[in-house]
Amino acid sequence: MAESVQDNVERGDGDNVKTENFFTLKKWNAVAMWSWDVECDTCAICRVQVMDACLRCQAESKKDFYGKQDCVVVWGECNHSFHYCCMSLWVKQNNRCPLCQQEWSIQRMGK
Amino acid sequence: MITLRGKLKKDNDVSNSKSRDTNKRVSIRDKLLVREVQEMEQTLPSTCQIVFDDPNRLHEFTLVIVPDEGYWVGGRFHFGIYVTEDYNMAPPQVKCQTKLWHPNINEDGDVCLSLLRQSSIDGLGWAPTRKLKDVVWGVNSLFTDLLNFDDPLNREAAELFLVDKESFRHKVKEYVTQYAKR
Repeated sequence: MAESVQDNVERGDGDNVKTENFFTLKKWNAVAMWSWDVECDTCAICRVQVMDACLRCQAESKKDFYGKQDCVVVWGECNHSFHYCCMSLWVKQNNRCPLCQQEWSIQRMGK
Repeated sequence: MITLRGKLKKDNDVSNSKSRDTNKRVSIRDKLLVREVQEMEQTLPSTCQIVFDDPNRLHEFTLVIVPDEGYWVGGRFHFGIYVTEDYNMAPPQVKCQTKLWHPNINEDGDVCLSLLRQSSIDGLGWAPTRKLKDVVWGVNSLFTDLLNFDDPLNREAAELFLVDKESFRHKVKEYVTQYAKR
């Protein structure tokens, strides 16, 4: 490290430093992408995006006067995600994840 | 399929505007079926054919299977498929309408296919992640890959196969000629 600094200093002695700069960065635009950090972003039960309201809630909201939807997402210990509404219907008859057949237990819930 | 989708939409609009209370529930089954029927038809095995008696009733149709290999080749088998209102929490009901000699289909037309079992502890039974196309492929495979003599519904058929394969083949042919000729 010390050597390379020395080199720079030595080279920096002359005026030719400026001519070695071929490019000068004047402006840059950063572009970022994001996606939900879930293994599967479509609910495999109702085939609607988990971040949207499930098929049932969507159908019922058409008749609902107050538009507020409260259809949350649920993640299992197996990391598969579904609508809470969809999954709660299914676990009534079989307490397993329909995708991986593991015993279903909730890891977290939310939007 | 566009017309069916349009029809469903129109029906919904009409009933919604009529009264919000009497039309208590938009059928989730019908919404799922609009997409699944289309997918099923696009991925239909070459040995299968789907017939809708009433194009407005997507939940009731006939699956016609004409096996191109195996014991039942030369036959034409009709299966009635009825998708109940609680689809896709419950599997479709499948009934064989053609009499045949098969270890996994009895002479009353009951079909033994793991996929169609409502509750099972293994991973093979029904799950809401399954679709109509899986049912079609499953039933179709009963004539080939999924043919199973170890867990028979028609015990007599399975036993005959174990004892004497040639008479099994003969009996299958006999049934085909009598009941399932194309």
